[in-house]
Amino acid sequence: MQIRDLPYTDPGVPDVRTGPRFLLWLGRMQLGGQAKSLGWGTLHMASVASVPAVVGLAVEAVVERSGAGLLRAGALMAVLALTVTLGDTMLHRTAITNWVTAAARVQQLLARRTAALGATLTQRVAAGEVVAVSTGDIEKIGWCVESASRFSAALLGATGVCAGLVVYEPQLGLLVTCGMAVLAVTVLPLLPRATRRADLQREKAGRATELAADTVAGLRVLRGIGGEELFLTRYRTASQEVRRAAVRTARMWALIEAIQVALPGLLLLAVVWHGARLALDGRIGVGELVTVYGAVTFLLFPLRLFQEFAMAYSFSRPSAQRATRVLSLRRGTEDADGAVTDGVSPAGGRSAGSRGRPPEADALDGDLYDPVTGLRAPEGKLTAVVCGDPDAAGKLADRLGGHPPDSTGAVSVRLGGVPLDEQPLAAVRAAVLVQDKDPVLLSGTVRELLDVPSSGEVSARHALRAAECGDVLDALVQGSPEADGDALSASVTERGRSLSGGQRQRLALARSLVACPRVLVLDEPTSAVDAHTEARIADGLREIRAGRTTVVFSSSPLMLDRADSVVLVQGEQVVATGSHPELLHGHAAYRSIVTREPEEGEAPGSDGGTPEGGELAGRSIASGTATAAFTAVGDEAAAARSAEAAGALRDLAAGEAVEVVDVLDSAAEGSEAPVGAQAADGSAATGERGELAPAEGAERA
Amino acid sequence: MTAAIGAPLPSYDPADTENATTLPVGGTATVRTYVAELLRRHRRAFLRLIAVNSVAVLASMVGPYLLGGLVEDLSAGSRDLQLGRVVGLFVFALAVQTFFVREVRLRGAMLGEEMLADLREDFLVRSVALPPGVLERAGTGDLLSRITTDIDRLANAMREAVPQLSIGVVWTALLVGALTATAPPLALAVLVALPVLLIGSRWYYRRAPAAYRSEAAGYAAVAGALAETVDAGRTVEAHQLGARRIALSERRIAEWTAWERYTLWLRSVLFPVVNVSNVLLTSAVLLLGGVFVLRGWMDVGQLTTGALLSQMLFEPIGMILRWYDELQVAQVSLGRLVGVREIEPDSGEEDLTPAGRELAAQDVRFGYREGTDVLHGVTLSVPRGTRVALVGPSGAGKSTLGRLLAGIYGPRTGQVALGDAELARMPAERVRQHVALVNQEHHVFVGTLRDNLLLARTGADDAELWAALGAVDAGTWARALPDGLDSEIGSGGLSVTPAQAQQIALARLVLADPHTLVLDEATSLLDPRAARHLERSLARVLDGRTVVAIAHRLHTAHDADVIAVVEDGRISELGGHEALVEADGAYAALWRSWHG
Repeated sequence: MQIRDLPYTDPGVPDVRTGPRFLLWLGRMQLGGQAKSLGWGTLHMASVASVPAVVGLAVEAVVERSGAGLLRAGALMAVLALTVTLGDTMLHRTAITNWVTAAARVQQLLARRTAALGATLTQRVAAGEVVAVSTGDIEKIGWCVESASRFSAALLGATGVCAGLVVYEPQLGLLVTCGMAVLAVTVLPLLPRATRRADLQREKAGRATELAADTVAGLRVLRGIGGEELFLTRYRTASQEVRRAAVRTARMWALIEAIQVALPGLLLLAVVWHGARLALDGRIGVGELVTVYGAVTFLLFPLRLFQEFAMAYSFSRPSAQRATRVLSLRRGTEDADGAVTDGVSPAGGRSAGSRGRPPEADALDGDLYDPVTGLRAPEGKLTAVVCGDPDAAGKLADRLGGHPPDSTGAVSVRLGGVPLDEQPLAAVRAAVLVQDKDPVLLSGTVRELLDVPSSGEVSARHALRAAECGDVLDALVQGSPEADGDALSASVTERGRSLSGGQRQRLALARSLVACPRVLVLDEPTSAVDAHTEARIADGLREIRAGRTTVVFSSSPLMLDRADSVVLVQGEQVVATGSHPELLHGHAAYRSIVTREPEEGEAPGSDGGTPEGGELAGRSIASGTATAAFTAVGDEAAAARSAEAAGALRDLAAGEAVEVVDVLDSAAEGSEAPVGAQAADGSAATGERGELAPAEGAERA
Repeated sequence: MTAAIGAPLPSYDPADTENATTLPVGGTATVRTYVAELLRRHRRAFLRLIAVNSVAVLASMVGPYLLGGLVEDLSAGSRDLQLGRVVGLFVFALAVQTFFVREVRLRGAMLGEEMLADLREDFLVRSVALPPGVLERAGTGDLLSRITTDIDRLANAMREAVPQLSIGVVWTALLVGALTATAPPLALAVLVALPVLLIGSRWYYRRAPAAYRSEAAGYAAVAGALAETVDAGRTVEAHQLGARRIALSERRIAEWTAWERYTLWLRSVLFPVVNVSNVLLTSAVLLLGGVFVLRGWMDVGQLTTGALLSQMLFEPIGMILRWYDELQVAQVSLGRLVGVREIEPDSGEEDLTPAGRELAAQDVRFGYREGTDVLHGVTLSVPRGTRVALVGPSGAGKSTLGRLLAGIYGPRTGQVALGDAELARMPAERVRQHVALVNQEHHVFVGTLRDNLLLARTGADDAELWAALGAVDAGTWARALPDGLDSEIGSGGLSVTPAQAQQIALARLVLADPHTLVLDEATSLLDPRAARHLERSLARVLDGRTVVAIAHRLHTAHDADVIAVVEDGRISELGGHEALVEADGAYAALWRSWHG
């Protein structure tokens, strides 16, 4: 495998049983690369090891006053220069190649796994952990895998030199061999401590970075209200803690380094002492003494490689462990080799669906029906769902899409009578698109953002228009000079952070509209959009989804008014179905949710009309007429609204009979009583509040 | 395989996006000034490092000298080597070397860590002093990437490169000096090797720093793509983007590895150059020295010492080459960090104090880009204690007007004044005593609940903090926290609901106590239930203050004293709700649209 051939077409199926097994698997997958690296490493090692011998020869020649000997030594040196250079360079190339290919392989495995896990990933493991594997751990894993071959080469080299010395001069050789063995293990006991300190330091550094990032992220708040000095002091403390931890780590490394100087120095001393005596006795030549001295200094080099490998292994083991934890995650419905990943294979997706849909996908047509709540979204219609509890709304939306990420074992939603949870994930996702409350904009150009698997029936421009994205595109074009005025080439930053909440919502909506699935479920798609724009979006949505099944979770009258039918879901049950005006007048609980007025029976003081209206309602409190003021505001608004509703009712097709369905099926009967009770309370409350009840009564009549 | 050693310069540079910046990047002069200042601040530690390093290097040379002496004596046929004295000296030198090597390493790290700490603290000091207008405009993303990515990249340079590089330079100088002292002719050998090294490394350093930056950016982009896939898990699954995300990750891998391949090619040139110059040096010492010895111009001992010393040169030279690299890469990051210093801090006239609380905009024009105004001559007066609602379609300039009224931006022409004192001429610290902007951003800082409140009034005692929490209805849940005010909240601590986050933000307002508030969709991101619950808290905070509310939802406007309809950067209608509905203009139309 060469770097230029990356990425792998298939990164393989990793052995994720344990960290060390994973490391072994990675090594096995690049045996060729490891062998090459070992070969070049051995050449390099042998060449470097021979340099002292040649230096010795040269000194010997000089001692013997032999010009020819000196020349011979020079020539040998030149040859060595060549092999050292070749060995060193090629060892580096092969080792780096091993590192890069191993790292790329793990990155690819991670990318595949995260894509397959999709919505379920963050429920199983912290998002930060996956990212930490990608940013920090892979580097260490690659290092360990790569240094394995260098370690082997060093082992070969050291063994060779020791063996050579033993043959060349048994006494000195034995001395050096034993010394080396001792040296190789001396610093090992210190490594775990150094690693622990380094971990602590990293942790502190992470904390400091987090504090700094957090301070910067909230800087607008700080600058707006104060407290900079407080946060600076806090950061300084954290930063100084990092410094101290780093110095503590450095203390350990300094000790290790000192040991690495002292012990080899003692070995060297022993060799020189012994060698000098041998030379005195005439048993070895002066040049040989220099050679032995050089050989010992050379041996320090493989010694460092041993230690490096020990370090790489001790650092990478926890990293490999973390990587296997992420890589071994499986979806609930997925078998061991990830059959569900079909859903993410390039062949899947909505675009492929339009050209050659899998047969079972064609069966997915018809009304969307949830047996749990009794919610039915008729085929081809725009159904709005009002749900008092936003969390319950989110869960219901998830269920409507089939294969919900947190499968609670609830009965599956049916599309045209087919239980979605029992269909293949890919087919279900192609048929039903659920846009959750917080859709994420992926970074890239607008064109890339909208390039999602789609049925191809809706163009990007059409979708952008329907979602009222005009000013969003203007803002994006302004922010990306490279787009050169072309809105589709303008870039969106990660999560669309440069945009406001409302702008993000509209872009996300445009993306869902482009996808144009048979069934589209939108959870509060316009909650942060201003009233003016929301009204236009509601119209656009109606028009662009005409004839296609659409479910919108919303509590905005502007959206609800444009739906074919509105369903009120409370406490896991559908409690009413009808048009917006019907429910507004016929259902107290519905009115309370949609108008954001205090629900009848609740003390007005514990609640406050409308969210932003409340800001201003507060003024009335200031004027000293607390409860009365609230009621007055509420009444005024309600009166205005009922007048509006009268208009809306007139606009309704005369033939559409008022059909307030309080209870859909018998299972819902349990919830009927409380609703009725509420309504009863409600009439009492409205009675107290004056002319509202009569006004409404008149309207209904 | 060897045929593929050369690698072209990759066409795509991932560092380009990193260079796209909203804040200035420091020029060479700024960087140089800063580095000089940093060195001056730490010059004692620096000198101490050089001193201990010199001792360590000198001690390390004792071995070769002693061996040289032995060789000389042996070759001269001496029978009395005085081994005891030699061994004693060796042991002493080794002890000195061991101790000082430890010192070098430790002092190097201490110096590096101190400089790094200075750097990151200096950066944050500068960042928190940025004018609010700059922050609004540039966003915090660029700053964020500087304090994370750039500090990270600098960490290695400061922690290792600066000390190691100075060690390497001192070491090399001492070795060359020693070589010269041992046998002056041998210093000539250095001259043989030097040109090769210089030419080769010049070629390398012209290309390497930029390439390493691109490589690092490419690697970060690989991780970034994955992080986004993880973050957007739900979206990825809903839109069936899995295959595309895998393809994107693989494209990023290809881009990153192209740079890995390129830098590998650069090193494939550098390595042989370094090796050849090393061998050239040793060969030159041996051959030159050998000839000199043969001629009788120097003795064998000198030759041996010289050869060993020349071999010792490999390490410091390698060190210099390696860390010089890192320093070059770091320079760009340093430029980004010190670039923040080039932004003029918010000066302002200290003695400018508002006389009164009336907020008034007078014929205000303002635009984010030259030549394109967002506001075209807006005049608006907000008397003390009134509530003004700004309504209008998105993009009309409501938020911009709000920011001008809060003193975040200064108008291009015209003026925004509080009690006749121009906001734009006041320092931000003064402005915020009077006016606060409340937006959707309810940042909860990592730290204790106390920290999160104290920022608004640094000297507040617990009773005041509890009172503020109570005032916004947050007393109950706050008291239920395991450690009360000392509970850790924010990311990594106890999770706080969006509604609680907003209550914390409101409690801060109570503590900061500005008399005028500009509300920009403060509750629009909250779900209706939470929003409803918060109204009372908000109402109490607003009590008795002047309020400018930017309204998405029309019921906000309904209750205001004055409604200003902003359209296309102008106030098109102004008046109370009833009056505007009667006037049957844009507001009336909007009002009807809300009721659909």
